Amino acid sequence: MNQRRFFITSLTTLSLSPWQSASATPSEAMQAMQRIVGNRPVNTGRIYFDLPPLVENGNLVAIKIAVQSPMTQNDYVKAIHVIAEANPLPNVVSCYFTPLSGKAEVSTRIRLADSQKVWALAQMSDDSFWRTSVDTVVTLSACTEMI
Amino acid sequence: MRLLGQLALLGLLLAAPIFSYADSRISAYTLMSPSNQAMQNDMNLNPAMFWIMDGEALWADRNNPSNKACVDCHRDAKQSMKGVSATFPKRVQGKLLNLEGQINQCRTTRQQLPTLAYESKPLLALSTLIAYQSRGLAIAASRDSALEPDLQKGKLLYFQRMGQLNLSCAQCHDERAGLKLAGSVIPQAHPTGYPIYRLEWQNVGSLQRRLRNCMSGVRAEQYAYGSLELSQIELYLMQRANGMRIESPAVRP
Amino acid sequence: MSRSSRAVVTLPKTAKRGEVFEIRAIVQHEMESGFRHTEQGVRVARDIIREFVCTYNGKEVFRSELHPGIGSNPLFIFYAKAEQSGSLEFKWTGDDNYLTIVKQTITVL
Repeated sequence: MNQRRFFITSLTTLSLSPWQSASATPSEAMQAMQRIVGNRPVNTGRIYFDLPPLVENGNLVAIKIAVQSPMTQNDYVKAIHVIAEANPLPNVVSCYFTPLSGKAEVSTRIRLADSQKVWALAQMSDDSFWRTSVDTVVTLSACTEMI
Repeated sequence: MRLLGQLALLGLLLAAPIFSYADSRISAYTLMSPSNQAMQNDMNLNPAMFWIMDGEALWADRNNPSNKACVDCHRDAKQSMKGVSATFPKRVQGKLLNLEGQINQCRTTRQQLPTLAYESKPLLALSTLIAYQSRGLAIAASRDSALEPDLQKGKLLYFQRMGQLNLSCAQCHDERAGLKLAGSVIPQAHPTGYPIYRLEWQNVGSLQRRLRNCMSGVRAEQYAYGSLELSQIELYLMQRANGMRIESPAVRP
Repeated sequence: MSRSSRAVVTLPKTAKRGEVFEIRAIVQHEMESGFRHTEQGVRVARDIIREFVCTYNGKEVFRSELHPGIGSNPLFIFYAKAEQSGSLEFKWTGDDNYLTIVKQTITVL
């Protein structure tokens, strides 16, 4: 390999390292869900998860999650967790409800680092689990800023 | 019969002003997603609300050598500041001032306080509070003939190519507005909502910050905050947007 | 000594017994994620709100654990069932001794 080719190759390798972004992988997201769920089975569905399929800016994304439930002492939604597959950390927020909540519904605003699949995981009072996911494309501003 | 025809013609002429040419100017608000639009509209959800509250506290702050707060001269900002930001930039005592410049002029001459730096929390708080009082009103750019040289300079800068990318404001925002740049739709660049809460900044920022952002985007050396050039560009942009509805403080992606 | 910031809570002044009403709570906080760097390449330390709790006459109605993935000026819109007149307390705690408490009353008819 001649000198110039070696030089260019090593330059490319060196410059690639900043591009290794600190982000979770789908498997880390699964592990995060695993820590919550343990060995218990997880059903798919039942959760209404409103997250825009196209996001203009990932810094502040409005989401709404709702689970239909009588919210009585015997039958209510204990918790809803949001887990992102490509954020630096998979856990985004965990919301806990009681029968006094009246409704298992919450709206908040989250950060999304990249286009990804985002999960909503619900835990019921009988310790059954439900989950659903939304795929979203996150775009960024066209012009960068130098402060 | 002839009289009827003449009456009909008169009626048409009188009705003509009602049918104006369609204004082709549109705000970047229309390009946003419904949830971001809702974030802007509802002051309960608009993150800039905290800057307005900070501004209200500063408005009443007498902690300065003159012992005077804004409220002592201007009373309730909700009344006195209505429509004010709609008229800036303009000539004040021979100097071209934008809203931030006017705030600083009041601070130095009447409160014996030092100027506030651009993009500092207090200056943004005051400019957001003041601009918010013009929300819903039309931009009322000054018709002062003394502004003409500054306006022409601002227009020149707007049409002048700059930076390593050698692009002018006009090439994107006049010629290519509505087309896409890296996935985002290019807006017409009307400053209807400043200061804005920009999601990209996770902060409220001034028009000058946004203009400098554009300049770095074309790899041009940015004009300094508070420079005459930036005020002249602001002046041209506000004149260009004259009559459009103010949305301050807007939310932008 | 704890740090605190503005919080705005919106809920109805009155509600009928058994009615489920909406509560909006937003607090001023940058939620520094800990993943940003300065121009010099120095990492900006994480500084976020960690927990938000709403209690109604002392009983928990809603609680959330926040991570860096929650956006600046955290907003939560959630619900509570009107049982008795009394007060609701909203508490935010976080890094670097952050603590903000807001109280509001409600009359249940």
